[in-house]
Amino acid sequence: MTVADGAVRGATIEVKGLTKRFGSVTAVDDLSFTVKPGRITGFLGPNGAGKTTTLRILLDLATPTSGSCSIGGLRYRDIPDPARRVGAVLEATNFHPSRRARAHLQMMAIEAGLDSSRIDAVLALVGLTADARRKVGGYSLGMRQRLQLAGALLGDPSVLVLDEPSNGLDPQGIAWLRDLLRHLASEGRTILVSSHLLAEMAQTVDDVVIVSRGQLRAQGPLSILTSQSQSSMRVRTPELDRLSAVARGAGYVPRPLGDDTVLVDGVTPEALGPLIASNGIVVYELVQVSQNLESLFLELTTSMTPHEQPPEMVPR
Amino acid sequence: MTAIPAMPRLVRAELFKFRTTPGPWVCVAVAVLLTGLGITTSFLLARNGVVHFTAPTTTTQLRRLMGAGYTAAIVMAPVLGVLCITTEYRHRILTATLLLHPRRPDVLVAKVLGSAIWGLFMGIASFVMVAAMGIPLLSAEGGSVSDFLHQVGPVVPGMLAAFILLAVYGMGIGTLVRNQIAGVILALGLSLVLEPIVVAIFSSLEHIDVNFLPTRATQAIAGSVAARGVGGASGTVGALLSWWLGAVALVLWGLGTTVIGYFTNFRRDVT
Repeated sequence: MTVADGAVRGATIEVKGLTKRFGSVTAVDDLSFTVKPGRITGFLGPNGAGKTTTLRILLDLATPTSGSCSIGGLRYRDIPDPARRVGAVLEATNFHPSRRARAHLQMMAIEAGLDSSRIDAVLALVGLTADARRKVGGYSLGMRQRLQLAGALLGDPSVLVLDEPSNGLDPQGIAWLRDLLRHLASEGRTILVSSHLLAEMAQTVDDVVIVSRGQLRAQGPLSILTSQSQSSMRVRTPELDRLSAVARGAGYVPRPLGDDTVLVDGVTPEALGPLIASNGIVVYELVQVSQNLESLFLELTTSMTPHEQPPEMVPR
Repeated sequence: MTAIPAMPRLVRAELFKFRTTPGPWVCVAVAVLLTGLGITTSFLLARNGVVHFTAPTTTTQLRRLMGAGYTAAIVMAPVLGVLCITTEYRHRILTATLLLHPRRPDVLVAKVLGSAIWGLFMGIASFVMVAAMGIPLLSAEGGSVSDFLHQVGPVVPGMLAAFILLAVYGMGIGTLVRNQIAGVILALGLSLVLEPIVVAIFSSLEHIDVNFLPTRATQAIAGSVAARGVGGASGTVGALLSWWLGAVALVLWGLGTTVIGYFTNFRRDVT
């Protein structure tokens, strides 16, 4: 590890009442959340949920319609020497294809007034030392992503804002990134990372912020959210329609998963078993689905109308 | 480590960006080639109705040779300026730039200064070409190198100023349009097509000298070189401004387009 030794004081990221409209489209809708130092916070949501827009507003690349964002109590533009305090990865296309990787980092070091001796360190950290003199145009997506990370770490920042950083990385690269983020968080840095790779996020993050259609759906420690969330039962039956009607009649929400399988949300085995027996429904299989990040995510981000209020899953 | 003030490091970064991409070098190379073409035509002189390849002898002819880069300035310096800003949009480097320094007016000022310095570099490269090709040719054709060198003072400062200010003007156009190809076409189209038409129309219909337009202002700065030089096709209509008024006009064109571009484009969301 070549980042600076010793504890690094992170800064709290605060998003307050953030709204961003593009004409008649509301990309971010009164969004508020907090990201704490020393933890990895996953910023999750389906495509078009407003994640990237939120991160761009946080980093002063876009202006909000209303609301505010701050890092350590300051707007990004007011942070002195931002590259020393905040490292960001937004997309793997922010390179001139004819510029060599090392020159790209050197350009960043000059622009931010950083010590260019850090360039070799971060190139080694992301595993690009051997390819540092190649033109970025010849890089794979994964290599560009690593170069973005190198740029983000150049100023040894205490806050990292990463938008889909594992895009294009191979399995080893993803595992490497997970270890890197864990190490950086253990040093006290604040890490906000958006991703659509839920299985990967489940192994990486401490906290989650889940958004859908620009609105907050849930925020808090992943372990608490998954334990508090409702359980589901997966039922395989030849009488799918009857079972669905009975479940619906009892106030549960059945979701067909195939020709003979249905997922019934918000119900325990103790409640559903007697209901099935009393109605004489034939069942081949009855399985309690343990709640994980993926099921929590799907539960919170599907079948919602734009006007639904976010569930109060944990005190915010 | 002592913190480096923002503006010097931003300007350094701009110069570094240019140095590490091929576009600006191609512009300079084309400018040098155009200068070579200008040098050649400076030796094509009519005597008794016949064009000969012979050494320029009069002050006007020698100034024309010294200012052989005039066409390069008119054509390539604005393109260089356009590239300075539109490359950021085309390759989305602006995101990285603004993450490192989010105060956008500073970034734009650095780009103005960076394009001015590269414009100066292009001008110097043009004069190096004049020296490297013009002096040997002049000697070979029996011309006076001493008389030629006496034209450095009257020609070089104005021509270098033209390179600098036209690069800044191109930067302003790039700030206005963002799209690289559109910016290059607009810069060249305004100077080479639209402006001569406007000048000719106003001159013939209204007898008005619209001598504040960019190319006409450049001719005022470059003086007799421009009016009778290789780029003089549009430069012989009407009176020119004084050199300093020409400089002021060109500065206003450059800064005006940049300021308008800042408020219409550069402040917008970066997506």
